[in-house]
Parts: sequence; C-alpha cells; structure tokens
Amino acid sequence: MYLFEYQAKELMRQAGISVLPGAVATTESRAVAAAGELGAGPWAVKAQVLAGGRAQGFFSNDRHLPGVVFAETSLEVGSVAQSMLGSVLITPQTTSEGEMVNAVYIEPAIAVPQEVFLAMLVDGESGQIVCLLSKKGGQNVEQSVGIDPDSLIRSNLGSGEMLTTEASLEIAKKLELSPSATEGLSVVLKKLHRLFIEKDLSLIEINPLGIRQNDALIALDARLTVDDNALFRQSKMAALGSRSASSSAEQIALREGFNYVPLDGNVGTFSSGAGLAMATVDAVANCGARPANFLDVPPVLEVSRVKQAFLLLFSNQKINCLIVNVFGAGIMRCDTIADGLLLAHLEAPVGIPIVMRLAGTNSELAISRLEKSGLPIQFVENLEAGAGKIVDIEGQNGNTSTHPSWAKNAWLRIRNLI
Amino acid sequence: MAILVNASTRIICQGITGRQGSFHCERAIASGTNIVGGVRKGKGGSRHLGVPVFDSVDEAVEVTQANASVIFVPPANAADAIIEAVDAGLELVVCVTERIPVLDMVRVRHRLNTSSTLLVGPNSPGIAVPGVSTLGIMPQGIFLPGRIGIVSRASTLTYEAVDQTTRNGLGQSTCVGVGADPVVGASVVQCLEKFMRDEQTEGIILIGEVGGTSEERAAEYLSSLTHRKPVVAYIAGQTVPEGRRMGHAGTIIHYGTGTAESKIGALGEAGVAVVSSPIDIGQAMADRLPSRQNTYA
Repeated sequence: MYLFEYQAKELMRQAGISVLPGAVATTESRAVAAAGELGAGPWAVKAQVLAGGRAQGFFSNDRHLPGVVFAETSLEVGSVAQSMLGSVLITPQTTSEGEMVNAVYIEPAIAVPQEVFLAMLVDGESGQIVCLLSKKGGQNVEQSVGIDPDSLIRSNLGSGEMLTTEASLEIAKKLELSPSATEGLSVVLKKLHRLFIEKDLSLIEINPLGIRQNDALIALDARLTVDDNALFRQSKMAALGSRSASSSAEQIALREGFNYVPLDGNVGTFSSGAGLAMATVDAVANCGARPANFLDVPPVLEVSRVKQAFLLLFSNQKINCLIVNVFGAGIMRCDTIADGLLLAHLEAPVGIPIVMRLAGTNSELAISRLEKSGLPIQFVENLEAGAGKIVDIEGQNGNTSTHPSWAKNAWLRIRNLI
Repeated sequence: MAILVNASTRIICQGITGRQGSFHCERAIASGTNIVGGVRKGKGGSRHLGVPVFDSVDEAVEVTQANASVIFVPPANAADAIIEAVDAGLELVVCVTERIPVLDMVRVRHRLNTSSTLLVGPNSPGIAVPGVSTLGIMPQGIFLPGRIGIVSRASTLTYEAVDQTTRNGLGQSTCVGVGADPVVGASVVQCLEKFMRDEQTEGIILIGEVGGTSEERAAEYLSSLTHRKPVVAYIAGQTVPEGRRMGHAGTIIHYGTGTAESKIGALGEAGVAVVSSPIDIGQAMADRLPSRQNTYA
C-alpha cells in the first residue's frame, strides 16, 4: 500500500526524523493561507500522487506544469495549487493515464549543499532488510547508479532485531560524509529501521536526504510503502490507506483479495494464478491489442467472489472485449468461473464479446452451461487462439491500428503462430 | 527416484482441520500420499480424515516419526507454524499459505539459516511426485509419472506444463512450486541442483516470472555446469507494461535484472531453450530428448 508524501512525512516526523514544516491543501484559498502560516517564501508546491518522478512529470491539461513547482509569492502558491488540484499528473512512474491530484503539499523551499539517496527495502534473495545509500541523490539516481554501480552502497540490516548504534554507525561511515553528518546519518538509519519494522513497511525511500550547511540531515522527500499482507496488524496504516487507494476498482480488488493492476488498453483479462494472468496479458499484447488490466483471482470456492471479479471488470467503461483464461485445478474449478460470470450477467448484463479458454477441472461442464446461456462467448482451445480472436474483435472496432511501443514487432510473431 | 519426497516420507499437516487443509489432505490421502497425522492446537487427541491430530509438531513427530510437514495455516500464524516445524527438526516443510507479511518471512529465513530444514514456499502450490505423493494444492488427475522435472515460481502455469508433458507422454519425475512471494525458502537453483542429480529426471522445465533474481541465478548456475540435462524455460510477464512505481529503490537494488528481458537473455546465453508462449513448453521439451518409452508410467 502506497502512502502520500504528506502521510509519509508525518510518520517520519513521529519517528523523530527531521522534515520541513509543511501543510496539506485541497483548495486554492487553503494553499494561500498555508503558505502564510509557513512563514516567508519561497515555497515548494508538491502535487500529492502515489508515484515518484513528479518533478519530471507534467499535467495532462498543461504540459508545461510539473508536479513540483517553486513559488515566490503566496498568490503564486494559490494559482499553482489551483492548476494542480483536480488535474491529472503524468510522471515517468505513473501509468500513461496519470493520476488525479486531490491535494497539494506546501513546504518552504530550501537549498541544501548536498543531497544523498537513502532507501530500505526487503531483498528477496538474501531474505533480509537491505539499506541502499548513494552520494548521487536526486532525480537522476537511477541513471547515475546505472553508469556508476559502485556509487551504490548496499548493507544488510539483519533479520528484524533493532540495529545497534555500532552497526548503524558502521553503515553510515561507508558514505564518507563529514564526522558530524556521519553521526547524524547513523541516527537516521537506526530510527528508519525501527519505523520499517514497527509499521511493517516494505519500502522507505528518501530521495533526497538533504545535508545542510551545519551538517544536519533533513528528509526532503519521502516514499513509504506498507506491506499489504501486514495490514491486519497495522490498523493505523490501513486507515491511512483508505484515503490513498487511488481508484474504486483497486479498493474493491484489495477488499476481495484479487491481484488487480489497471493498464492502459481496452481488452479486459481474467485469470487465476499470477503467472497465468501475466501470460494472458502477454498474449494480448503480443497480438498488438492493448490489455486493460492484469487480474489474478486467487483460487476460490465461492461463486460470489468470482462474480465480484467479473463485475469489477464490467464496471470499466473502456473495456470493449474480455479474454478469460483459466486452468481449473485444485479448488478452482471451471464451473465456478462459469457460474460467477452468469451471476455477474444478472446484475450487469454482458454487452461485450468474451473469448474464453477454459481447461482442467469441470471445463466441459462449464462450457456447456455457458453455451446454453446465449452470452456472446467464443470458446478457444488455447491462449494464442484466444488472443487471435481478440485481434479480430479489436480489428472490427478499429483499435489495432496503432501499436504501443512495448508491443511492436510482436504482431508479426503472433501472426505466424495463429 | 524423485526429488525432495518419496514413498517413505512421513508427512504431517499443520492446519489439517481447517477448510483448505481438510480439502487438500483428503484428496492427497485418497491418492496414496503418506500423511501420518495432523496438528491443530486445541484439537490434540482427536482424529481427522482417519489420522491422529496433535496439539504441537513436537508431539506429532514423537508419536508418528514424521519428517515432513505441509502447512495450511492462516497468514497471521503461518510464520510461527513454519518455525515450529523447523524447531521440531523436520527435514522438509512445504508452506501453501499466501499473504504472509514479508517481515515474518525475514524472521523465518533467519531461523532457517541455522537449521537443516528445507522450506518450500510460502505461497507455493507444493510438491507433487506423480503416483507417490502430493504435498500442497496441486490438482489430481493431470500428472503422469515420467521423465521431466518441473520447477516453477507460478502456480497455475505449472499445471499447464504438467498437462502438456502428460499429453505428450513424457510425464514428470517431480513437480515443485517454489512459491511466488518475494522471500521464500528453497530457491530455483536448489531445485535445479537436485534435478541434475536425480536419475529419473532427464529434462527440466523452469517456469519463471518477472521480478526477483531467481532466473538470473539459475542461468549462472546452469552456465557453470559442463555436462547437464536439457532445460526449457518460459518467463511470464514479458509484455506486462510497467505500472505505477514508488521511487527508485526497486529498480536499482538489482540493477539490470528482474525484467523478463534480462531473464530471457541470461537463460538463453546459458543454453536454455526459452519459449515465447506457454503452449510451446511440452513440445520444446520433447524436441530436446531422445524419443523413447516412458518406463515410469
């Protein structure tokens, strides 16, 4: 679960990490007042979205406005806030559809002599919390580290017990800062590590962590991600999330336990099992069509949850056809899928063509039930045939004329297969 | 022979009385899996599915001499269940549970470092040795004892590979789902090592997916072998466009790895036949093996 910058900074403040004073505003007048309360300018006005790369981003209705703007006067703060609020910000880290800005965060704009990169996350390979540090902090950290991998300092933080002062000092020393900044970094590392464990986080990223003239450290930006699987024991974090889940579809998916990722296209996909769901998205994209989503419905016994999954897809107005790819195995049976679809149809009549590949447990039973229903379903033997059908449908809709860059060349490949 | 499990493995189920545990254990027992008992705190002394239930893994091991466990315990208690099994000295623990908090798995991995237990999972469909044993949730009826070892990070795609190698007569020696979580026990490389040593296994299918470094490590391992069995791989997520991201750390922690491109490239360089569609897995494996009778079927 992602948190907004202002939520992340509040948690850091509570954890004793130094951050700038700041205020959230959801209206122009509040933004102007907040600037005044924060003292004399200049100020930074920062769009609150659940993605990074805001400074390199732009708004869909104003391509020259980035997601972080420096303002000299409080009136300017207001006008920037007004432009941002209710508009859609697109950054290198959002999808191409961007994200609606419902709040801005206003801080005094300060310049610091040095900026470093700091992150903590769980490394799957070592099975430990890992700390990443780099002197090349700032927007271009990915490129800088790509060019100079040695500039990234990686330290294992152990397995969940609190860091000792000695251990955190050892890690801080690796960044080769001045003695007092090193001391400060060591304290920050210890506090952040505690926050990571206490709040069940899966990511802390501070980029940049500013080092001021007097060697004091200050978190100038903050990204926190909470482990979704731990929300059952982190009720305060879960409450923050109810304000930050970005779309109602994602909220429904979270509640129902579906793995759902909205994508940019118009071909809905439905699968069970993350791998098969990915293979389904791959097949659609390889045909030059554009998947509208990734959906992995975990194996369930209850028809009602399958119904919810279909309703979730049907609620997306952009979807103009749907591919269902299920291998019935274990507790996931094909007839459960069929019944779920039929129940969904009773609540929201199916108005789009559906291509289905059902295999495994009770697939024949499922197909015979659906055939009797009269729904506009085409059954196919395998995924590639299904993707081909989607291409036919999409072709009729005139939707395959432009291929997204990530699908280029794939068209020919799939054409040879089907 | 198979890897990890054989007919003499004595298996207990932690969480045997729950809905999932009951459903899958009943089917496993019916197909001949050697499940010798179950564990459910508070229900010790009772019987379930025809086997004794114990309050703790220690008691179960003492009475049944179990050496393996399959875990169907809800996510909040699953890590403690794994650690209980490790503490009891079991050789093999398979954890099916999904959605275990990642920091709980960090704690589990720390405990595993000082034990000889092999953990498969969590978020794993389990292990199947066709005709012998099913630990976990892999379905009945699609397997055929045979010549191919399957190691997979993706559950349902595993069944596609099983289905195809059953239909073309190759059959499977053992099928292992290592689990789809970021932090798991047994690695893909550990499974490959066992398959390379296993006499029954003639060829190996690796099902990977984007994220993590398992496939890149597998490629490194395979490149280091001078003599080896043929390997066919499929990587899911080849065209999944990047969704919303939070910051840079996830990208730079393993710079240049983790993408489908990097995995396919590394495996290809290691001489693995990487197929671009899951429907080609079975045929690609058959093409790389001498055609002969499957004597295990």
